[in-house]
Amino acid sequence: MKKLAEVLKDWEAVIGLEVHTELTTLETKMFCNCKNTHDDPPNTNVCPVCLGMPGALPVPNRAAIQSIVMAGLATNCQIMRHSMFYRKHYFYPDMAKNFQTTQGPVAFCMHGHLDLEVSGEGAAERPAWEDVAGDGETPISREKDGSYVAPIRILRIHMEEDAAKMVHVGGEEGRITAATESLIDYNRCGTPLIELVTEPDLRTPEEARLFMEKLQQTFKTLGISDCSLENGSMRCDGNISLRRRGETRLGTKTEMKNINSFKSLHDALEYEICRQAEVLEEGGIIYQETRHWEPSRRRTVVMRVKETADDYRLFPDPDLAPFDLTDDFIEEAREKIPELPDAKRDRYMRDYGLKRADAAQLAGDPAVAAFFEGALDGAPSKTVATIANVMVNLAPSFDALTPAQVRGISGLLAEDAITFAQAREVLEAVNGTDKDPERVVDERGMRQVTDTAALEPIVDEVLARCTNQVQQYHDGNKKVVGYLVGQCMKASKGSGNPKLFNKLLTARLEA
Amino acid sequence: MANIDQLSAARIAAGVAAGEFSATEVAKASLDAIEARDEKVQAFLQVSSDLALAAATETDRRRAAGEKLGPLAGVPVAFKDNMHLVGTRTTCASKMLENYESTFTATCVQRMLDAGATPMGKANMDEFAFGSSTESSAFHRTNNPWDTERVPGGSSGGSAAAVAAGEVTISLGSDTGGSIRQPASLCGVVGMKPTYGAVSRYGVVAFGSSLDQVGPFGRSVEDVALAMNALTAAGRDPYDSTSQPCAVDFLEHLEDPVEGMRVGVVPALMEAAGLTAEVRTAVEGAAKALENAGAELVEVDLPNIKSAIAAYYVIAPCEAFSNLARFDGVRYGYQEEGCLTLAEQTSKSRAHGFGEEAKRRQMLGAYLLSSGVYDKYYYPAQQVRTLITRDYKRAYEQCDVILMPASPRTAFKFGEMSDPTQMYASDMFTISNNIAGNGGISVPLGLGAESHLPVSVQLQGPAFSDRRLLRFARAVEKSFSAHGAVAPEFAGKGGELS
Amino acid sequence: MALSREDVAGIADYARIALTDDELDEMTTYMNEAVDLLEPIRQYDLDGVDPTFHPIGDLSNVMGEDIIDDSVRALPIDVALKNAGSTRDRYFRVPSILGTDEDEGGIA
Repeated sequence: MKKLAEVLKDWEAVIGLEVHTELTTLETKMFCNCKNTHDDPPNTNVCPVCLGMPGALPVPNRAAIQSIVMAGLATNCQIMRHSMFYRKHYFYPDMAKNFQTTQGPVAFCMHGHLDLEVSGEGAAERPAWEDVAGDGETPISREKDGSYVAPIRILRIHMEEDAAKMVHVGGEEGRITAATESLIDYNRCGTPLIELVTEPDLRTPEEARLFMEKLQQTFKTLGISDCSLENGSMRCDGNISLRRRGETRLGTKTEMKNINSFKSLHDALEYEICRQAEVLEEGGIIYQETRHWEPSRRRTVVMRVKETADDYRLFPDPDLAPFDLTDDFIEEAREKIPELPDAKRDRYMRDYGLKRADAAQLAGDPAVAAFFEGALDGAPSKTVATIANVMVNLAPSFDALTPAQVRGISGLLAEDAITFAQAREVLEAVNGTDKDPERVVDERGMRQVTDTAALEPIVDEVLARCTNQVQQYHDGNKKVVGYLVGQCMKASKGSGNPKLFNKLLTARLEA
Repeated sequence: MANIDQLSAARIAAGVAAGEFSATEVAKASLDAIEARDEKVQAFLQVSSDLALAAATETDRRRAAGEKLGPLAGVPVAFKDNMHLVGTRTTCASKMLENYESTFTATCVQRMLDAGATPMGKANMDEFAFGSSTESSAFHRTNNPWDTERVPGGSSGGSAAAVAAGEVTISLGSDTGGSIRQPASLCGVVGMKPTYGAVSRYGVVAFGSSLDQVGPFGRSVEDVALAMNALTAAGRDPYDSTSQPCAVDFLEHLEDPVEGMRVGVVPALMEAAGLTAEVRTAVEGAAKALENAGAELVEVDLPNIKSAIAAYYVIAPCEAFSNLARFDGVRYGYQEEGCLTLAEQTSKSRAHGFGEEAKRRQMLGAYLLSSGVYDKYYYPAQQVRTLITRDYKRAYEQCDVILMPASPRTAFKFGEMSDPTQMYASDMFTISNNIAGNGGISVPLGLGAESHLPVSVQLQGPAFSDRRLLRFARAVEKSFSAHGAVAPEFAGKGGELS
Repeated sequence: MALSREDVAGIADYARIALTDDELDEMTTYMNEAVDLLEPIRQYDLDGVDPTFHPIGDLSNVMGEDIIDDSVRALPIDVALKNAGSTRDRYFRVPSILGTDEDEGGIA
């Protein structure tokens, strides 16, 4: 198969995503008051409603509706005042009623968009010719480094309920193939689920990956879900088709399932683009089919060919009153929306002078942002940049630091009391403890001498000794200072501050 | 002292409260009447003697302890077998649910029990409430107590027959297209379909969710009003999204005169094909009686009611298909043995668990909801529903209630209506009210001049005017001697309250 | 536009109701009679008429609170499973899925 870059010279990849997100932070299920968790033994959190017992009736969870309205507002959707729940029928025992309660043509949230920032290597995935691609698409303008912003339209976000979990026994790797029986656990059945459907605006696997990442950050910040791809609380299906460069008609699409990591999403789409290109270039036909990504074999395989469109017999659920959302309801949701990652990133750049990439990294994950802001709490303003630096470069290696420890270590770094290398050692020592970094530094005698008077004799001694290097400096090799700093450090047994030595040395050499 | 079938619900509750007789004595008298009469009537699918005696004992204990007794203290009640009551099976008269044990109790049932009622058992019905004769029950037929060679009507035929035979004082039924009012009419008892949303549907196995409504049967309007109080007094049910508060005292104003009020009559309906002369004459008699009581008769028009049956047979089968999709033999219900694949198990469980009519309705619904067909039938049927609802609204600007037959004819013989689509016409006068969601009540007028079988009039009212409907029903009742009559063949058999 | 036997067989297949040949014939007759009965619906000009999906006037925005009430409605495992034809341990059990045309995990 050709490589992606090769394929995208001639073909345009048209990608749309369908993202299901369980509202894991809610206490109860979508239409009943069962506990909303999957961690309990099978069929623990079940009642007549979510087991689809005859005679049971659904009542929508107010907090779930509020959550989806928040999701809609955060993704620039229009909040539809009037909408209804529909019944979507299919006979399969993971849905206890043999229909799923979902929404019809009008969802709670319609016609939104998210702007994707694509930079670095990922930006290179998109061929330059795509930037001006026609068919009413907005042209892309690139920065000098190739980065660009792609507006991705969101068709809708609708509210529905999740299905039960099935365990296939006797088959290969717990899959259906050759299974002799299947076991059903309805704990997950009825979990509040929102489905976001994008317009087919994504053009590269990297854009798809970034979109998912941005969505995850947004929903996590809203606090409506833990958004775990690994545990399946956030799931993504990708629809993908190819068309010749310049063509406006859509090609036949395939649907990709079983994508449970960002990397899988990227790699599955990359594989599928290359596979489709190969088929088409050999004169073959793409069938509308559902394919399954096998990460271990790095390929997609056919799960099911759709010969005819599914007929789900959708009709408005007569057991559920229609919705006419009020201004108050929508405003209440709006007020609950915390600062979103983009706004937070801009604030970090504006207020703390952070670099865009660093600010984005800190602002993206609400837990990281909260930690960062906790570390900032009470820190002198000159330490802020150091805290950000530590958070971006050092903290990720340690999973159990406290904001106060990061603040402490950053303070020591900012006043040149320790080196970056020493900071790493200190963080390792305090990680997972309640130890104060300052004390560790003192206990280990790491604090560096920042008293000029104490360091000057050492500088004098080194300059006197290293006449060769001094000569080189005066001959124009300024880099030799590094060597001299090293000698000073050695002479001070590591207790002197290297930056200070550098300063003193340079001053003396230039004198 | 008296036979249980001679006592009204209010009289029983008062007697229990006063210690004139105990709830246990009443329960035993009811069990005795069931024992003596039900072999012939076959109104019951299950008699819950243990639950009845336990409930009665509890009522008696409460009285002895000086605790407050409910307004239905000790009153023997039967429930249609699509209503869940823990401790009973809920079969919907279907092989599909032959062994289904209730896992929770329906709100309507619980509220009757909370009011002190004694649960005597579960009443026969058409399978999943599909029918107008109770002949589609998978287990046995129910005989009309007035002529055991005839049907009791349906689908709540068992509930109507149990009251008509004096086995219980009150029963609950459900009405999707006439399934309370039509059997009440054929069995000569009072049967009320309240406004949609007045009584919770939670725990009642659904047929047509936008049409179904639970309501009471009694031998008097007062008993029905008492049951309505029990069903609604606690307010709306938080477990039913479509339930609405309508708690008023339905006994209040029951005896108020109807003088100066307006009764609508639809001339076209009185000329409808299929309406027998004796029913028509009797209904005209009821109109006359209300006029004599001082009400004014006004002619009103419901032009779109002619399409009500068509609209109903789109909407109801679609909702039925959807509601019955859950019966796949996995979590409950009939499961075909020895199937190798899930698809085979599902298809055979459904084919062999459901009876003919249940399959027909689901097939029709599955067809009407399919893509392309939905726009031709389902959507327009819901638009016609709007027109019918508007007709009623306009009519109720001119009148307080509308009077019409409940059933086009008196009870027919078993097997007489073998064609399913012919049977659908049995509900020609009742269906439009379910479509509009309004309340309606069937009130006995005595026996027909030709058939010598019970004949009734139906009164319909605007949404949530159920109390006014009862007042008119009481006014009709006062003019006719049918009040409180137990079918003569069964009156006084067993059931002696000593 | 009468429904053919094949049409009806297709609907039966979708509705998961296994019909014998005789039953299929009877069902086809019934379906066509029933659809004829619905003809009045097709005679209307319904332009501009809103449908009434819920016969309950202005009732809307009915919601419940996000509060666990497992003491009230959650079913103990023995009650949850007691009506099932086939179970294993704490699970409901179904035979091999093979032979159905559904996806693994349905549609959600």
